[in-house]
Amino acid sequence: MLAGGAAAFTLTAGLATPLNLAPQQAEAKADDGKKVLTVAVAQSVDSLSPFLAQRLLSTSLHRLTYEYLTNYDAKNNRAIDGFATDWKPSADKLTWTYTIRDNSTWSDGKPATAKDAAWTFNKVMSKEGTATANSNFVTNFRKVTAPSPTKLVIELKKPQATMAALDVPIVPKHVWEKVDDISKFNNDKDFPVVGNGPFILTDYKVDQYVRLKANKDFWRGAPKFDELVFKTYKDQDAAVSALRKGEVSFVAGQPALTPAQADSLKNEENIKVNEGPGRRFFALATNPGAKTRDGEKFGDGHPALLDKKVRQALFLSVDREAIVDKVFQGHAVEGAGYIPPRFSEYAWQPSADQRMSYDPKKAARLLDEAGYKKNGDGKRVGKDGRPLDFRILCHATDPNDKAVGKYLKEWWGDLGIGLKVECLDDVSVPWYAGEYDLAFDGWSVNPDPDFVLGIHTCAALPVKAKESAATDNFICDKKFDDLYDKQLAEYDQGKRADIVKQMQSWLYDSGYMNVLAYPNAVEAYRTDQIKSITTMPTAAGNIYGQDGYWSWWSAVPADGKSSSKDGGSTGVIIGIAAAAVVLVGGGALFALRRRSTAEDRE
Amino acid sequence: MTTESAETPSTAPAPVAPAAPGKSARSLARARRRHSVTRFWREYRTHKAGLFGLAALVLIALAAVFAPLLVGSDAQSVTDAPGRPMESPSGAYPLGTDQFGRDLLGLLVWGARISLAVGLLAAVLSVAIGTLVGITAGHFKGWYATVIMRVTDWFLVMPTLVLAIALASVMSRSLWTIILAIGVTTWPTTARLVRAQTLAVESRPYIERAQALGGGHGHIMARHVLPNVMPLVLAQTTLVISGAILTEATLAFLGLGDPTSVSWGGLLQDAREAGAVSAGHWWYLAPPGLAIAVVALAFTLCGRAVESVLNPRLGATR
Repeated sequence: MLAGGAAAFTLTAGLATPLNLAPQQAEAKADDGKKVLTVAVAQSVDSLSPFLAQRLLSTSLHRLTYEYLTNYDAKNNRAIDGFATDWKPSADKLTWTYTIRDNSTWSDGKPATAKDAAWTFNKVMSKEGTATANSNFVTNFRKVTAPSPTKLVIELKKPQATMAALDVPIVPKHVWEKVDDISKFNNDKDFPVVGNGPFILTDYKVDQYVRLKANKDFWRGAPKFDELVFKTYKDQDAAVSALRKGEVSFVAGQPALTPAQADSLKNEENIKVNEGPGRRFFALATNPGAKTRDGEKFGDGHPALLDKKVRQALFLSVDREAIVDKVFQGHAVEGAGYIPPRFSEYAWQPSADQRMSYDPKKAARLLDEAGYKKNGDGKRVGKDGRPLDFRILCHATDPNDKAVGKYLKEWWGDLGIGLKVECLDDVSVPWYAGEYDLAFDGWSVNPDPDFVLGIHTCAALPVKAKESAATDNFICDKKFDDLYDKQLAEYDQGKRADIVKQMQSWLYDSGYMNVLAYPNAVEAYRTDQIKSITTMPTAAGNIYGQDGYWSWWSAVPADGKSSSKDGGSTGVIIGIAAAAVVLVGGGALFALRRRSTAEDRE
Repeated sequence: MTTESAETPSTAPAPVAPAAPGKSARSLARARRRHSVTRFWREYRTHKAGLFGLAALVLIALAAVFAPLLVGSDAQSVTDAPGRPMESPSGAYPLGTDQFGRDLLGLLVWGARISLAVGLLAAVLSVAIGTLVGITAGHFKGWYATVIMRVTDWFLVMPTLVLAIALASVMSRSLWTIILAIGVTTWPTTARLVRAQTLAVESRPYIERAQALGGGHGHIMARHVLPNVMPLVLAQTTLVISGAILTEATLAFLGLGDPTSVSWGGLLQDAREAGAVSAGHWWYLAPPGLAIAVVALAFTLCGRAVESVLNPRLGATR
């Protein structure tokens, strides 16, 4: 769902950019000598409010503009100091005391203190529509207080393992308490937005750009670039062309660059292609029967999917090796457990006899057992006479969804299952309404897996039917919930990891979430504009969408005059040629028609 | 615009003096029709461009119809794709392969089916709506014509593509949606043309005679007006087809087509998404683009030729 971009009107992006031949001055050096880092992103901002934002771009912006209690070390993902310099639990593990740093100030000059942190957490806990983004962290909180400007005390109902990984941006109390209705406030009215992170948000235009300037007073040290701009390119190919021409310094790897794009950029001078293990999983979610927290059913998911055997049969007939090999062309790792192998502590692999490898014969047997036999036309039909015809929700903006959809259609077609691929610009409407059978799903996973596990608990279900909620896929199961509570209360790292693996094992067997692959992050940047940049993990990691602000904070501008290449590559010429053919053809056609019809009138 | 061939059907019911006993009115009509078709073809043959367009169309239509025999019925299958992804043209794959390793030549041939089918059906739908609106508006006049022509004007000033995109995005993604979207947005031109012709036909004396003999609205429109606007409608259809094919390609290119079927516009969209534009894989982009242009051009050439054969005024100027 995270990948769901807003309406992608690609006509302009697709045609206008290749036509735009005039070499543009690279932005790494603006006229006034300011060093600007421009990043091309495909996603649009859902909200700039830390209470509401869920998309990767928005949460990355919050990482850059607000402080979190703790940060993650770029080397090994361990929690290190952020807004808090120290944290420790009481003996009964129910009271946590954080020491808040005294050298952090808001961009309007006021000091940032523990009072701001306490106010933020209390707001999230108040549930006045303020818990959309971070509810999983605070459901267990009893009370949050700030006895002094440098001391924050959190009292818990039950022990909670994520206390050193509370990914909640701390907002300035003196600004936010003036907001009337936080549940509807998107934080995009007054610029610059008051913050205390390494960057300060200065300007934002919906689906055009987000502009940030360096916070020179940042306690960890000022960023080297003066300005950071996230420019929206709905079309990844247009973003790649912009990178070639030097209009942007960086192309975000979400969605990842296609193999063809990466290969062609590798041969380009002054461009570096960075490939790291992804934070995301790419999965096939099945609708388990959408319902509210009170058990009221809604939506129109196919009833056959309530049968575990059917769900497993679907997964058994998906050749994940072929998907990695053909669709991702090796730029991905075959899917298994829910958490990507990059987070080795929590990642889980099914044992040999639990593994659901590609086995269409077994899938057919399972379907026969479940009572879905093939009829005369080779279609599988249930006892109620309803054929196994599924719909799958796909993101129109993600080429991988469409590509895998083609494979699924053929694999399942061989089994006698019909599939209709429904590609939408915004999948969230049918998704929240439960009006789907299957869906392509993907989340970026944090070093602490609590969030991505929490979205499958009963507590995440919507209160009212068809309302947006934290739930990913309407899963609600007692066993999973018990394990979730257990892992959250477990302070021993090893034991907690064991429970998290049990949860993944349950999820794997259930057939609700079938992880197909972990796509690599494939991104590219201009080395004549960015001299060096930190990846996370430092060795062979990714740059865009990190669990911290390391990449943009650490980026060093290149000294030399950035050479702006004109975009006279073959691709551009072909683009122009194709556009010209269509334009000339269309123009001639219309001219002819006009002429002909003019004479027809009597 | 009075061509003999056009008037033929309207005079058919009038008994042309009892002919030789062996020849019924029907066989006479048949003979006359055969004669006019021959004459039409003789005239058409004189238009070189029209012949060229027709030849191109016949070739492409044959390729589309016999696609399973030419390139195999599994050319569209991704699971049985024979090649590696994004191969450049070679002996085995004359146009290279797409991102799934499928032979692009095969896809191009299969794509002709969708593009032609959508183009034809959408044009027929569009012209059918346009003819119905045009004839009724021209026949009834009065407030009905005023209202319906204002509706036509409204559709005429609406940008077709934007309207089609709006329609295609609210309905489910399928071939029929695209056909419907094109059909219901491109009819106004036809409606205006047909209305003008209807007005001209209805002002002729024989319509008055038919009315005096008790011909009702339905009879006049179906038996007298329709046959006379038919040549115009036929020419208009051929011209609308090329527009419909271009619109279909545009919609598919914008990602509004059925993602699981292969069409030329869809191929361009796939190429763009796979990054073929920035990677410079011209063999992926150029063939579908050229195919669209060639078919659109061929239909236009045919349409122009048909038009000038059926309309002597146009023919004389050439």
